[in-house]
Parts: sequence; C-alpha cells; structure tokens
Amino acid sequence: MMSDYKVEMINDGMQEFYVHFHGPSDSPYHGGVWRIRVELPDAYPYKSPSIGFVNKIYHPNVDEMSGSVCLDVINQTWSPMFDLVNVFEVFLPQLLLYPNPSDPLNGEAAALMMRDRTAYEQRVKEYCEKYAKPEDVGAAPEEKSSDEEELSEDEYDSSDEAVAGQADP
Amino acid sequence: MALGEGNPPDIDEDLHSRQLAVYGRETMRRLFASNVLISGMQGLGAEIAKNLILAGVKSVTLHDEGSVELWDLSSNFIFTEDDVGKNRALASVQKLQELNNSVVISTLTTELTKEQLSDFQAVVFTNISIEKAIEFDDYCHNHQPPISFIKSEVRGLFGSVFCDFGPEFTVFDVDGEDPHTGIIASISNDNPALVACVDDERLEFQDGDLVVFSEVQGMTELNDGKPRKVKNARPYSFSLDEDTTNYGTYEKGGIVTQVKQPKVLNFKPLKEALKDPGDFLQSDFSKFDRSPLLHLAFQALDKFIMELGRFPVAGSEEDAQKLISFACNINDSSTVGKLEKIDQRLLHHFAFGARAVLNPMAAMFGGVVGQEVVKACSGKFHPLFQFFYFDSVESLPTEPLDPSDLKPINSRYDAQISVFGAKLQKKLEDAKVFIVGSGALGCEFLKNVALMGVCCGNQGKLTITDDDVIEKSNLSRQFLFRDWNIGQAKSTVAASAAASINRHLHIEALQNRASPETENVFDDTFWENLSVVINALDNVNARLYIDQRCLYFQKPLLESGTLGAKCNTQMVIPHLTENYGASRDPPEKQAPMCTVHSFPHNIDHCLTWARSEFEGLLEKTPAEVNAFLVNPIEYASAMKTAGDAQARDNLERAIECLDKERCETFQDCITWARLKFEDYFANRVKQLTFTFPEDAATSNGAPFWSAPKRFPRPLQFSIDDPGQLHFVMAASILRAETFGIPIPDWVKSPMKLADAVSKVIVPDFLPKKDVKIVTDEKATSLSTASVDDAAVINELIMKLEKCQKKLPPGFRMNPIQFEKDDDTNYHMDLISALANMRARNYSIPEVDKLKAKFIAGRIIPAIATSTAMATGLVCLELYKVLHGGHKVEDYKNTFANLALPLFSMAEPVPPKVIKHQDMSWTVWDRWILGDNPTLRELLQWLRDKGLNAYSISYGSCLLYNSMFPRHKERMDRKLVDLAKEIGKAELPTYRRHFDVVVACEDDEDNDIDIPQISIYFR
Repeated sequence: MMSDYKVEMINDGMQEFYVHFHGPSDSPYHGGVWRIRVELPDAYPYKSPSIGFVNKIYHPNVDEMSGSVCLDVINQTWSPMFDLVNVFEVFLPQLLLYPNPSDPLNGEAAALMMRDRTAYEQRVKEYCEKYAKPEDVGAAPEEKSSDEEELSEDEYDSSDEAVAGQADP
Repeated sequence: MALGEGNPPDIDEDLHSRQLAVYGRETMRRLFASNVLISGMQGLGAEIAKNLILAGVKSVTLHDEGSVELWDLSSNFIFTEDDVGKNRALASVQKLQELNNSVVISTLTTELTKEQLSDFQAVVFTNISIEKAIEFDDYCHNHQPPISFIKSEVRGLFGSVFCDFGPEFTVFDVDGEDPHTGIIASISNDNPALVACVDDERLEFQDGDLVVFSEVQGMTELNDGKPRKVKNARPYSFSLDEDTTNYGTYEKGGIVTQVKQPKVLNFKPLKEALKDPGDFLQSDFSKFDRSPLLHLAFQALDKFIMELGRFPVAGSEEDAQKLISFACNINDSSTVGKLEKIDQRLLHHFAFGARAVLNPMAAMFGGVVGQEVVKACSGKFHPLFQFFYFDSVESLPTEPLDPSDLKPINSRYDAQISVFGAKLQKKLEDAKVFIVGSGALGCEFLKNVALMGVCCGNQGKLTITDDDVIEKSNLSRQFLFRDWNIGQAKSTVAASAAASINRHLHIEALQNRASPETENVFDDTFWENLSVVINALDNVNARLYIDQRCLYFQKPLLESGTLGAKCNTQMVIPHLTENYGASRDPPEKQAPMCTVHSFPHNIDHCLTWARSEFEGLLEKTPAEVNAFLVNPIEYASAMKTAGDAQARDNLERAIECLDKERCETFQDCITWARLKFEDYFANRVKQLTFTFPEDAATSNGAPFWSAPKRFPRPLQFSIDDPGQLHFVMAASILRAETFGIPIPDWVKSPMKLADAVSKVIVPDFLPKKDVKIVTDEKATSLSTASVDDAAVINELIMKLEKCQKKLPPGFRMNPIQFEKDDDTNYHMDLISALANMRARNYSIPEVDKLKAKFIAGRIIPAIATSTAMATGLVCLELYKVLHGGHKVEDYKNTFANLALPLFSMAEPVPPKVIKHQDMSWTVWDRWILGDNPTLRELLQWLRDKGLNAYSISYGSCLLYNSMFPRHKERMDRKLVDLAKEIGKAELPTYRRHFDVVVACEDDEDNDIDIPQISIYFR
C-alpha cells in the first residue's frame, strides 16, 4: 500500500499527487529527498503513470530542467499488472542505483558518468546538497503553505496549475 | 521533396487523404482509371454504387430494367415515395452524382448483351439468374484482358458473394500492411545463419517471408539487395537459409526489411465453381456447416424463380416446401460435397425472406462487394476467393411469427415487415435512440435507421449529437455531406439529409460533445427515456464515457469502429454482456523521450520531434509573448509566483523571440530560418558527437553508439539542395506569419530565395565542453543554476520589459496552430522538412510530404466500405435489442478485415461475476444505501458485509482515504455534506441520490471490486 509513503494530494483529486522519495542508501543520492509528481492518466492502469522530479536532480536519465524521467520500465514496459507502489519501491531506486548513461536525457551527466565516475558522484552530491535537502521538499514551491497537512485541501487550488506544468515538458 | 514539386493533379489529396492512407497513390490511380458496371439498382446496388463513387473510380454505369417499387424503400436510400414507377437506374443518377462530381455516371435500361461488358474492368450483378450469370461470367473470364466478375445477392437475412477475376489475377499487396522491419544486433557465421535483432520491438516476420538487408557492417555480403528467406521466426531473432560461414564477421549496424511478394490467383469460372465450390470463406465458427447449405439454398431459389416466375411468398408453407424440394434435388444430383442432411428450419427462413432486400444486409454487402471491386481494379488486398455466404437468422424475433403478421400493408417498410413482422416494425418506429457522433459511422447509421423506420413512429425520437463541423477530407466517406456544407455543423446537416431519406424520421440534432460537461443537456431524464445508444465515435475516451453512462442507466450500447479496411463491432447489453471498458487494447507505445530528443532511429521519431519543435517555435513561444504583452504586470507576478525552472524557460524563450531573434523584415525571417537550420542540423549534432564521440564507450565498456542508436552527422547547408531550400522557405514564411510580416511572392522562386539565403552570415560553431545535450544549450549551465531562481526571474522580467519598449504600440504575435489538412499553409511543409533533415542527420530514409502528414497528423486511415459494413452489422443487432428478450448467444460481436478478407463473429463475453462470501454481483449491479448515512455508517454497512473500505470517492474527488489521518475527522459527517463540500456536488432539489465509488479489501487484504453505491439522502 502507498500508506507507507508521504503523499500530498492535489485538491482531493485522485489523478495527481506528490510523493516524497528518499535516495537509496547505497547510492550517491543517499540523504536526498525529492518530491515526485505523479500523474495518473485517464487510461491508468493501462497506461503508465507519468513521473517527474519536482526539485532538481543530477542524473543521466532525468531531464535537469523539467524533471522528466526517461525510464524505460515506466514508459515502455509498463503493464497494468504493476502496482503504483512498485514505482517507488523498485523502479525509482533502481534508476538512482543504476543510471543508464546509454539512453541519456541529461547528456552532460551521462558523459560525465562515463568519463569520470568520481567527478559525477561529486556533482550528484552537490545537487543533493543544493536542491534535495529534507527541508526543500517539506515546503511547497510557494512560501505561503507551510503546514503540509493543509496541502490536501482548498488552499492548494491556486498553486496546482503552476506545478502541473512541470512534469511534462 | 523537390522545391515546387506538385502532386500529380489526378488525386485530390485534401478530399481523399483518409483513403490515401489506406490505399496509397498507386492504387488510387488505378481506381481512377477503372470503369465499373453495377447491374440491379435495389438496395444492394445502391450501396455498392455509393461506396465506389465515394472511392473515386473513373466511371460507374448503372443497369436496371425494372422500375422503383414501394418495396424497394426498405433498403434503398436513393429512392423516395415520389420515385415509385420510375426506372431504377434513371432514378438513381442524380443523387449518386452529388456524391462525387469527378466520377462519370451513366445508365443502361435495356437488356444487357455480353458484348457490352467489354467496356468495363469490373462488372457487378446483384439481381441476375444463374443461367445468365454463367453466360456473362464465361465471357468475362475468357475476355482479353479478363473482366472481373462479381455476383452478389442479399435475400432477407441471407447474403452471398461470388468473385471471378479471371484465370490469372495478380495481387500486388495481399494484406495492406507496411513491410515489417528489424534492427540487427548480431549475425552468426553459420549454416543456417542466426540473425538477432534488438529487443526494442518484437519482430513480425513469419517463416517463408522474404527479407533484404542493408547497412550491415562486417558481413557486407548480405547488403547485396537479394531477397532471402526467413525460417524459425522468433520474437527477436530468426534464421536465414544461407551458409554464412565464410562471410565477413558481423561488426555492427544493419536493418532487415520484409519484401512483399505479389501473389497470382487462378479463379474458376462460375459454371465450374458452382459444382465444385472449394473452400468457403467462413464468418462464424458456430456456423461452420452453413455455407454448403446456403450454396444449395441460393441455387434452389434461382430454380424456384425460373419455374414460377416469382419469389416465394413470406409465410407460405407451400412455397417453402417447394424451395426445400428444389434444394434436395440439387443436393442429390451433386457430385462434390453432397450434404448428408438438410436443415429445413433454416430453409424455411430463407424462403420466407427471399424477396426482401433489408437495409442492414445491403449496407454490409455493399461494403464487402465495394471492396472486392476496388481489389479487382487495383490488385490491392487479397480478393475473396471465391464464394462467401452469410446469414443473420438470430436477428429474427425470438417467438415464431404468425404469417398474417408478415403481410404487406402498403408501406415503405413492407419488405422489412415480410421478414420481421409488423409487431417488431412498430417497436422499431417507437424506439428512442441516441446516436453519439455524426462522422463516417454516424452518417451511415442515420441512413440505416431512416430506412429501417427506427424512430419514425409517433412515439419515436432519435437524438444525434456531434460538436464537429464538416471538412473537405470528410466528404470521401461521410456521404450525407456535400461540398457546400463545408464549415457547417455535422449533426445538423446529417439530420436533415436523413430526414430527406425518410420524411417520417423524428430526429433532433445537437452540437454538444458527450462528456461530463454536458450532463445538464444529457440529463437523467434524457438517459432514462432511451431504448438504446449507438456509438459512432472516433476516440476511446468518448467511448469510455458513453460506456459508463450506459452502464449507469442500464442501457444497451451498440459499439463499432473502423481502421482502414478493418472494422469491429461490440454489443453491450445490460446484465448479459461485459461493458465496453471491461476489456481494452493496450495503449499505443510512445517512443521514449531520450530517443526522440537525441537518438532517433526511425522517421516516426523524427516526425514526433518535428511536431514538438513546430509547436514550440510557432505556437507556444508566440503565445507566451502575447501573454506578456496583453498584461505585463499580471504576467510578471504569475512568473514570480511560479518561480520555477519552467517559468524561467518560458521567459527566456519570450526574450529570445523579442530580442535576439526578433524579425522586422522578411529578410530577418530568412536569416532566422537559415540559422535555425544551422542550429538544428549542424551545431547540435556537432555538440552531441563531441560529447559522445563515435568511439565512446559506456561504463561497462560497450560502445555507446550501438543499435538501435544511430550515429548522426552534421549537414552542410547548400542552396543547391532543394530539400534544404524548402526548409528555409517554409520556416521563413511561417516565421513571418507569427510576426505579421507580409510574405513576398519572390520567396516561392528558388533562385531568388537562394540569393536571399546566401546573404546570411553564419557564425562558426565550436562545441563546448560540459554542456547539456537534450535541452537547449542556452538553458542552464551549473553557474546560473546555482543562483537563486527568484533573482534570475526578476532579471529576466526586467529584460523582457526592456524589449517591450522597442516594440510598436499594440504589437502582438500570431501563434500558429498546427493544421494538417490545409495543403497550402506550409505547416506540413515545415514539419516534413524538419523531420527529413533530421532523418538525413541520422541516415534514416526520408518520407514524402503525404506520408509525413499521415504520421505527424496522426491521420486515421478510413474508407467508406469498412464503415458501411460495420454499421450494417450493428443494425442487424439493433433488431435484436429493440425486440428484446434475446439470449446472449443470439448476439454477435464482429472483427473483420476486408483486406484479407477475414470475418470473425463471436458471441459477446458475459460480465465478470464477483463472488464474496455468499454474495455475487457484476458490473451491472448497484448497491443502494438509504437514510442519509454518515461516513461511519457507510463504512460499518460495508464492514457488516465483510468488506473493509479504504477509499471512497465521488467523481474524481476523494472523500475518504484511510491513508490520511485527517480524513478520520470526517467520520461523523453526512456523506451528502462531504460530497457537496469536497466533491463540489451540485444536488438540485429533484435529486434524491448520488453515487460513490468505494475501494474495498476483504479480511485477507485482497482487493474486491464492489458495485457503485447509490446514497439516498432525501
């Protein structure tokens, strides 16, 4: 069940929400926390959910600007049998543990990873430090909503439009 | 893609684009050169003529010696009561001509001689004796070149087709599918050689297919273009019947492509085929022994008419017995395939209905025969070889019919009454029907229901809705529309055309899209009054929506769809069958973003990229600029509030457009286009190959540039390259449009354009280290990214305001929305040029503008024949639905592909029964909970059934989820208040209930699908 994850609903709707995702411990992403925007398309579960990183991450398969994930498992081989929770328990940890630089969306990160693994990991950590501290995801993009529990209701109205634009470039 | 290259004038691509997507240019040209005879202008002849005239043959000659009878009006959409007594062929010409002015339509009203047949490439007879047919077929079969002969009849609920395309007929394309391809991963030096392909897409090769190789490195012997045979075809590999032991060692690369082989068919003449019919084309495995019986039945009917000079009378036991004895005699004297037993009950039905031509049967066979004529004229698709028999006796009422109920009552429905009886006719006339969609399927349905008399009684009411307007590309199959209707509402035009087919039709035309937003129009009362819903839609989402509404209101839904020569129909009957949404095709796979951005390996990827660039450059950025210009203060504050990377990106694009890349003269637009070319097709490629050199290796040492990735090379611009010049022309014209700059005529002269382009100074490009590949290079280097987003945005807004001061007052840009169907707007020119230049970068074969339009415009191939057939099949089911009381095994779902041809009919799937404890239910059930319960009461009510609810939703709003602690506070609130407050439910005084969807688990934590729950609160 998704109840093990911190989930923020948008407007009590069921098709879009955020999930807090922690970098896996054996990876340079350890310690980082990301808000993942999840959008369930109308045809879900026949069509894969769309997944995007809201705060920045340095990763060969994630577009730095938009946070879009080019993850074959999600985009290409999704099956209605997969559970949403698999995305957070299997797909995303795998992605962060084993980036695939041969299908890059962030070419610079891919090239750096292929050429100089140490420098690449250093860069990953810099990004985590800069953009993915737990307090970065605790607060919503705007200053005004400070209480997370409150995010699920009407106050969020005005902001979800703007956030909605992010995941899909 | 040469500059100024026009398409040959013979094909009107705007009119025929959907059909071109099915047939291709070559087939269309052959069609345009074909002369067709249609003999017998009752319902079937009219349907065939309609389909061929829409397809666009050169000429159609209509032959009929008889005159219009009232009886014909049950199936012929051309005739009205006023035509009774006129010659059928003459009475048909004018209305058929309106369908397509470029087809020559003529008539013959006297007895045919076989010599007259030599004027035609194909002849079709819908009402001819076997004796005469044999004589004509013999002439056609032996003619030089042979004339394709088709004989088809519909008699009541029975139909037949016979084809003879001559002793040696060549089929150029047996299935209409594109040649299959694969990207090679390895080839062994072996006998036989094993070819492995990348596991991106499954291979579609079959054993015995012929394939050719190209671009293979190492084992170059295979690149000789010689077709080779596939064996042991597997999902990602196959063997080659060839010894490659001594060939070069495979290194990398290579594409394998299927070679489609023509096929020669040896047709038997009718005389021989009657005696020895060979294999019949089957349509329904539950009726596998029926075709031989119907083969006899149609011969017996011919004998009956020869001897008695009339058809059997409906309900006459004597006539039926006579026909049965003829059938027995023919069976006894036959030498091949003699039947052991003759099904007398079936022959009864056959005899009773023999004189009637029913509209649904005519529509279905009009589609089948129309397609066979296209095959005969073009060699496209596999012909029907040679007999096809079909029946739909399940459409008859469930109870036995009283002969007196079948008697003519001097009405236009007499033919239909002779088969189904006057009682069912009354039910048809008083039905309340909702047709959703008024496109290709909708037009055909309207014609069918008008002819059947559905909704034509005093109680009857037909509602049709469609929010679309008529476009030129509709006219090649949406046959109720004429060119003077272009721009008008589809539903209105179709409704008045249908009312002129049958003036008794009670029809209302609406322009509302059927969706949650129009539930005030299609309200509960509307739905509750309906007898049946017929979908005539072109997209899955609308179908799913209507399915949900039908499920909710427990209404039968007749569903159908077409794709090129394929069609399918699905009957959704409350409690008997599963609903439409219960089983679904997997969604189309989309190419991953990284592939589209930087590593395309086929033209689809290039076109997807081209469309997205088109949108960004010409629609989104100008719209962004306007958003700013219309209200700079509001825009700035919105950007500051958003404060994210997306906002920054939008700002940067707007500034670039108004500052560095702003165009004031047409020459500026040319400069912009030329520099765009350099950026897209040279600089970006140089940058990419700098970051990932050809010999780059991934972390585990494997080559980076391995299949399916293709290594790109930059293009060198040359004014002598027509494709490149065409790019500059289309791009500069559209750029000028966005800036409102007049477009000079000289731009269309390649010489003058080349001069103007040569003036552009193109700066040298040096690849940079450590820049991003996928997004724009200008976007974020780490240094700027580390600066606070808010500060950057502030700075950008200031820049933008500075740009604004330089603009003339009131300046606005003109965003361009992609429109695929206008051949003169340069949209497709730009998209196909963008895609083809990119294809050149990656050595991917280029495509012409038409093909590009099909892919980029997501044009759904469509032809009149399969559409007509689908609606005929659905209307055969409509008899069952409106009669009521049929069992699930009486209904038929169909999948058909006229290209093969293939018919596959089967009983619908019953709904899934869910069992829990001692209860069971299906999707058609609903639970009801009264007394205005609270959330806690609902949860307890479910608990008492052994169900643990964890999520409750109203529409798309979540009223309760056990995951959120805060939702527990809602426990003692009335559900209706939660629905109003959180779900924003509007519950006017006449509403007594609303519905919630509940997700439940049983005590073992298994998810249980439960019915929707209606909560009564008043």
